[in-house]
Amino acid sequence: MTDAPITDAWIRRLNLLQLVVAGIIVLTPTLWMVLSSLKPSFEVTAYPPTLVFAPTLENYAQLTKTTPFLSYAINSLIVTIGSTALGLLFGIPAAFAVSWTRISWPAILTLAARMAPGTLFLLPWYVMFRQVGMIGSYTALILSHAVITLPIVIWVLLPSFDGIPRSVFEAAQVDGCSVTRILWRIALPLVASGVAVASILAFVFSWNYFLFALVLSNGDSKTLIAAAFNFIGEGSTQWGALMAAATLIALPPLILAALVQRWLVSGLTLGAVKG
Amino acid sequence: MSEAAATFTEDRQRLELAALSAPAVIFTVAMIAFPVVYTVWLGLHSFSSTGKQSFVGLANYSRLLADTEFWHGLWVTIALYVLSLVLQLVFGVWLALVLFHAKRLPGIVRSLFISPFMMPPVVAGMMWLVILDPSLGAANYILQSLGLPPSEWLASPVWVIPTVALIDTWQWTPYVALIVLGGLQSLPPSVYEAAQIDGASAFKTFQRITLPLLLPTIVTATILRSVDLLRFFDIIYITTQGGPGNASNTLNIYGFRVGFEFFNIGYASALMLTLTAIVFGAVLAFNRLRGAVAW
Repeated sequence: MTDAPITDAWIRRLNLLQLVVAGIIVLTPTLWMVLSSLKPSFEVTAYPPTLVFAPTLENYAQLTKTTPFLSYAINSLIVTIGSTALGLLFGIPAAFAVSWTRISWPAILTLAARMAPGTLFLLPWYVMFRQVGMIGSYTALILSHAVITLPIVIWVLLPSFDGIPRSVFEAAQVDGCSVTRILWRIALPLVASGVAVASILAFVFSWNYFLFALVLSNGDSKTLIAAAFNFIGEGSTQWGALMAAATLIALPPLILAALVQRWLVSGLTLGAVKG
Repeated sequence: MSEAAATFTEDRQRLELAALSAPAVIFTVAMIAFPVVYTVWLGLHSFSSTGKQSFVGLANYSRLLADTEFWHGLWVTIALYVLSLVLQLVFGVWLALVLFHAKRLPGIVRSLFISPFMMPPVVAGMMWLVILDPSLGAANYILQSLGLPPSEWLASPVWVIPTVALIDTWQWTPYVALIVLGGLQSLPPSVYEAAQIDGASAFKTFQRITLPLLLPTIVTATILRSVDLLRFFDIIYITTQGGPGNASNTLNIYGFRVGFEFFNIGYASALMLTLTAIVFGAVLAFNRLRGAVAW
């Protein structure tokens, strides 16, 4: 039996090795993007590719000089924050009502909407928004992105509301509290961490969403993601600026996700897995 | 409290609860249900270049059956779907086991593994476009250093589908892994202990005990990935736009281009409704499967 601990140690080492290999595969492409964005422009397309170089911010400077990057970023922020707020405004009361009544069809309705291909709505939206002259407006973009954020808010908050003991609500009812008052005064503070996770997930997926802005935005309201094409077009010979744009676009969701990584998994599966 | 007063409070409460879900329901009906009905109507019509519409019945659908580009798109969609799904499930279960045996995961490690699927797919497409460039990309340099022939990657009609599947697998394998990890962590430890006492090998334990118990979680991951993979769009649109030629023209890309590049609204509606039926068909089928493998 003396060799058992040795085998255990080896198994652990082998597992650690696999973890490191997986980590390298996951990290390397992202790292390559960031490195390329910091290379002097003549060196980005060097072949063989270089690993040692004098880092520079010239690609970032060029990006802000040759493209309206900042105004795209502001458009992205307006649409993302607007749609996240709208998702919370509609989603919080709906999640509470579904949790209270156990009548789940409103939650399933929003989820079904999330599962259909976005192009399905985009056609009629395009026809309708064009008729009322709303193509390119923030309103159209925020409304369309709220279709993404609403189910996230509802399905992340459902288990949180379900976790509150019913006796808490009953006690409040005996004291004469209305249902609406119970939601805002009692239930909502109890699920504050759930609201934080829901907000961040809604923000990330609204920020990352490509399809709707591709059609519904115009030159003035173009979001960063929809503008990615412009960077690729101009970047065919300028990988440095292209990778600088990619890095900056990826930064907000990555930072936010890192903040709530511990709670992300159960939220991401829309309640299908209890993390 | 009198009976009448109690009924009054209950009615009031029901009304209040309905009012709480009303904004979400009204919003979804206005943004989704109504437009979908409108799409059905659009799919039954044909629109001339001057904007005049005429009722054509199911002509758009019979055109679809005769459209080789549709069948090609269906084939591309299914090939990409099966290839990506298999890769992500196999590597995802492997990664989940590795993460599970690492016991404590520091926050920084978890952040590392969620980073691919938290970044926009568009950004993933941009970064791989540069890495996989046929003449100057790092991927071909690595291949050549290993004495292997370089690949055209996204520029090759043969390799574009496996390459796109590879990019999506890089992005979403950690997601599958974290779902499966959740399933692993919820398994009762007693089953492993019993297997160990019986002297079962690690592989036998996995094959006979862990995998069957994990099946419901794996089916859940399959459903969540199926929804995204069957309507594959972002990475392809940013890297190849369906090319080279039409080699990566998935149904979603094809429908989008028919609608917004050729402005054939009626036919695009028929295409999108067909794709939607495929997505929901897959979800419902896998949902039944999940019921069958539940324990």
